[in-house]
Amino acid sequence: MSTAMNFSSKAFKPRAPDKGSFPLDHFGECKGFKDTFMKCLRDNSFDNSLCRLQSKDYLQCRMDNQLMAKEPLEKLGFADLKETSPSPEDKDAKE
Amino acid sequence: MLLPCVLREFSRCSTLSMHCSRVLRLQQKLQPSERGLHTQAQEFIARRIGLRWKPQTRGIKNRSNKRGSQEDEWKSKNKTVLTYIAAAGVGMIGISYASVPLYRLYCQASGLGGTAVAGHDADQVATMKPVKDRIIKITFNADTHASMQWNFRPQQSEIYVVPGETALAFYRARNPTDKPVIGISTYNVVPFDAGQYFNKIQCFCFEEQRLNPKEEVDMPVFFYIDPEFDEDPRMARVDTIVLSYTFFEAKEGQPLPPLPGYSYK
Repeated sequence: MSTAMNFSSKAFKPRAPDKGSFPLDHFGECKGFKDTFMKCLRDNSFDNSLCRLQSKDYLQCRMDNQLMAKEPLEKLGFADLKETSPSPEDKDAKE
Repeated sequence: MLLPCVLREFSRCSTLSMHCSRVLRLQQKLQPSERGLHTQAQEFIARRIGLRWKPQTRGIKNRSNKRGSQEDEWKSKNKTVLTYIAAAGVGMIGISYASVPLYRLYCQASGLGGTAVAGHDADQVATMKPVKDRIIKITFNADTHASMQWNFRPQQSEIYVVPGETALAFYRARNPTDKPVIGISTYNVVPFDAGQYFNKIQCFCFEEQRLNPKEEVDMPVFFYIDPEFDEDPRMARVDTIVLSYTFFEAKEGQPLPPLPGYSYK
């Protein structure tokens, strides 16, 4: 935590998230997607760029299960993923 | 020209000061240049004859003129000084009013304090382009307050992102107690300067999260790093950003102070 005794002008100021807070997934409805995503991360040495499809799937699951406000994928930064179809071509499109 | 003056003086000196006024009147009819010579001649003659009264018209006028002009000079000097002081005072007041928007501009340009950074909006997420050649490592840290009994930890130790690309990360929280516990969290980003580029789209902070007994949930954080991060010269050597979350226990009945910029739905 940034302490109050920090007199430098560059103290950290936490900002609220843009779209608010995620409701908790008490029933584990999207746990499968999360596990796929975590597995992808572990396989790709935690490189986020290679696992964006899985993260898109997870967020899509959240939206479908009322755990997240529905947003078009462009607004979430997945504009490039929306046009292509699943994984192998997706990697080519991102290159 | 001197001769008629001398003659005039001789005619006058016999009648002495009774004709002073007449002399004065005569003198005032003269032109200034003539008067000058005339008065010089009068003084010369007066000295020679010993006339005690001297037509001192020019001298009196000069003296009063001198005094008057000195006073005028002082008056004009005072006026200019007063004008300068008044202008300085008005200028100071104007500067103090103008300093508010000027300081705001300066803060935006220099980024001091972090709050006056040009705001990021939702449209930026849709249109931003990832900066592919700048890879940043984000490490995750999870803390709980001493009295908070949750088990709270990140599900990945690090993740490699590039600015301009949205990323997802997970934390896990477990309530090992037999009572529902409400927690609330806040976050911190180190280095502080990089914190202004760290934008969270959605996370689990600043809102009360309730965990039932023996429950375990995944908590995602959806964020991105502003593409302008790559252009900031102060961030040129920053390769690692640490995101740290801390959970506190929220007690029932304790109202939260309103957070700046956060709208409660």
